[in-house]
Amino acid sequence: MATTAEERFRDRMAEIEALAAAQGLDFFPINFETVPEDMMTEVASYGLPTRARHWSYGKVYGHQRLYGKMGLSKIYEIIINNDPSMAFLLDTNPEIANLLVTAHVYGHSDFFKNNLLFEPTDRNMINNATSHAIRIDGYIERYGLETVEHLMDIGFALDRHIDPHLGTQRAPYPERRIVEKEYTPRAYEDLFDKPKPSVQYVVEGEKIPPHPEYDLLWFLITYGKLEPWQKDVLSIQREESYYFFPQFMTKIMNEGWASYWHAELFHLWEHVSPEEQIEFARLHAGVVNPGARFSLNPYYLGFKIFHDIEKRWDEKRKLWLERDKKGEKQDGPMPITGREKIFEVRKTDDDISFINNYLTFDLVRDLELFSFAPKQQGKSKPVPDNTPIVITSRELEAVKQALVTPRYNYGVPRIAIRDMLQSGLYLEHIDRDTTFLDRAYATNTLNYIAELWKNPVSILTKDEQGNDCSLTAKPSS
Amino acid sequence: MPKQSMDQAWDMRGRGLKDSLRHDQRVKEAIKKNLRELIGEEAIITSDGTKRIKIPLRYLDQYRFKYGQPQQGIGQGQGQPGDVLGNTGQGNTSGDGQPGDQPGEHTYEAEVPLEDLVEMMLKDLALPWLEEKPMRHVIAEHLRFKDIRRKGAISRLAKKRTLLENLKRNAARGDAHVRDLHDDDLRFYTWDIEQELHSNAAVYMLMDVSGSMTTSKKYIAKSFFFWMVRFLQAKYKNVDTVFIAHDTEAHIVEEKDFFGLSQGGGTRCSSAYKLALDNIRTHHPKSAWNTYVFHFSDGDNLPNDNNICKNLAQELLEECQMLGYGEIKYRDDASFYGWVGQGASAMSSLQSYLNQIGNKRLIVVTITHKEELMQVLQKFLQPQTAVP
Repeated sequence: MATTAEERFRDRMAEIEALAAAQGLDFFPINFETVPEDMMTEVASYGLPTRARHWSYGKVYGHQRLYGKMGLSKIYEIIINNDPSMAFLLDTNPEIANLLVTAHVYGHSDFFKNNLLFEPTDRNMINNATSHAIRIDGYIERYGLETVEHLMDIGFALDRHIDPHLGTQRAPYPERRIVEKEYTPRAYEDLFDKPKPSVQYVVEGEKIPPHPEYDLLWFLITYGKLEPWQKDVLSIQREESYYFFPQFMTKIMNEGWASYWHAELFHLWEHVSPEEQIEFARLHAGVVNPGARFSLNPYYLGFKIFHDIEKRWDEKRKLWLERDKKGEKQDGPMPITGREKIFEVRKTDDDISFINNYLTFDLVRDLELFSFAPKQQGKSKPVPDNTPIVITSRELEAVKQALVTPRYNYGVPRIAIRDMLQSGLYLEHIDRDTTFLDRAYATNTLNYIAELWKNPVSILTKDEQGNDCSLTAKPSS
Repeated sequence: MPKQSMDQAWDMRGRGLKDSLRHDQRVKEAIKKNLRELIGEEAIITSDGTKRIKIPLRYLDQYRFKYGQPQQGIGQGQGQPGDVLGNTGQGNTSGDGQPGDQPGEHTYEAEVPLEDLVEMMLKDLALPWLEEKPMRHVIAEHLRFKDIRRKGAISRLAKKRTLLENLKRNAARGDAHVRDLHDDDLRFYTWDIEQELHSNAAVYMLMDVSGSMTTSKKYIAKSFFFWMVRFLQAKYKNVDTVFIAHDTEAHIVEEKDFFGLSQGGGTRCSSAYKLALDNIRTHHPKSAWNTYVFHFSDGDNLPNDNNICKNLAQELLEECQMLGYGEIKYRDDASFYGWVGQGASAMSSLQSYLNQIGNKRLIVVTITHKEELMQVLQKFLQPQTAVP
């Protein structure tokens, strides 16, 4: 009997898949796994079904087990960006919940496959992360847990400082070499002084780095004096960080897109009983609930914005067609439909452009959004406990900024390596005019780098008065 | 998805648990390493003693470059600019940790069961002297069949042992076989009344509550007391506590009132000692109880009271396991006679009198700063090995 129920469930999932394809969703094939809660928690904590061990995942995992709630959607859904995709369904979910998750997950898979930011991602990461884990397990056995752990601590401290424009595969900087360069004299130059030789020898590739280097781990791996196993561990962490970057950049869009589609597919699906429809409506409301006062539900925001885009573009198009019918003059070519527009947006935008371009004044008002912050004294001092948190604005621009700012630069300060000299490594806090570095954390992170670099490491930043200053760390031995 | 990779994935299941245990281990190590600072941590002392305590652990932060100032957050609902939504540091429940959604980062807080903390501290303090001649008090009697004798009822024959004795006897004659069972070989189980011995401890907290004892000074006494009771609870089945507050007069009070009390007036310590002594004799006699008496004060006793105190202290020492006196004297306390200055404060007259008693179970310490709490505990509990 259980098999029949299982088969029936799989059949229904297949129907959803067919519906999704019919609506134009273009997705990688998905392997679904029904799993118990602890497995779900594990995958959620690590981000991938298998990944190298580290105590920080244990922290998340332990916390989840104690406190149970996983994210904002109380319906647990996990899908991995991979080809084929892998998705997890919780074995204690009622059937209708897992069907909602199925529909939702097809939305995600389409997003992963089509959004441009995901194009360079490793679509075989599930297998690769497994081999990464095996290699790191090997190093743990060979060099000891604490040694590897400590190196990974350093890797995690730096792994968000990447350069997405240059990507994961990079060649070292051009070697230092002397190049022949032909010198073309200007007209009449031979009338003045000694003529310059027509062939000159120029030194190239002198300075390392030749330009500010934003990929900190890449630099340390390529130019640091590290053991091969250390380079391997850091490379693994670096690669996995690049892999997750697009997910960081598109969380609101992605969840909004998937929520849009689970609602739409259920709406279109004929083989749903009235009871199931009601149950679905209840679950759906839970997924796209607005969230608490202090935390906005990305599912909700993304969902609302996509619907708003569709509505507005449909209206624009309707207007155009009406004018066309009356033979009136048009402003421009026929607009695409709302549906076409959202497909376009899901391909070309990330959260930053999504919010900047499509969060409207009306939406801010209708969703009652506002920005808030602790009422702070100095802009740099840590905020003491019991400082009042106040609403700062309900204006569109302020709300946009509050949404968008944390998504710049992978959520970390913009730091680059400027110079590699005999005296040490020199970093620069690029956005020091507008942001302030937490001192204790910065010092400890510099210590980490100095430990790997085996030479002093400095960073140029600004002090509390706004004047340029340097923080330095020396390697301890 | 190739099947073997899925199998591999499944094999690696369980790393969540492993890593979470590893994390707990690191938390413990971080706590142990920083025990000295944590011991005075308000979060612990002011906890209501429930099972898990949240300890802010600044030592397990994951370092990276991050912003010093808090980010703007996004919320929704009613309200106007300027409206207060709440306060920082009140554990606002986070969503799924979206960047920019929280008012600010909190230091990592480890949740540790109180027993684990106590155990860690105990290990560090290693209270050997509590083992000295502990008093016993009979709680329960059990019958135990553990003795074997040559005489007894045949129903209680210890067969194996009997055969063994027979074997031994024959072997002694050069023939190691079981043969010719003799009366002498017989062994029987018999019972003993085994008394399950429990030990009881009583802690007397005596505290000066005259006007000069500020809240922060009382906090030191409270912290000390918190740990003392926990240690004793780990070692003894029953721990009674008695709180005596005094200025010129002494009263027994409830724990919840004890640390809030503040009276004015002068200080007569002997009142407390007398009350304690009478109470011990009545309720915690030496025959059944291990009593520990601790007295915290900050100021000078009435000069003519000191000798009385000394005598009472000697009597107390007859009745209890130890008597500890902690004098809380901050460096910048002004004495009654004027500004004392930066140097070490003079000992009060009470202290000098008590020091005349040459009893190793009387321990006298001076506390100049809350950070010395760990040392104070050590001095009281490990007199032989404490760092002076």
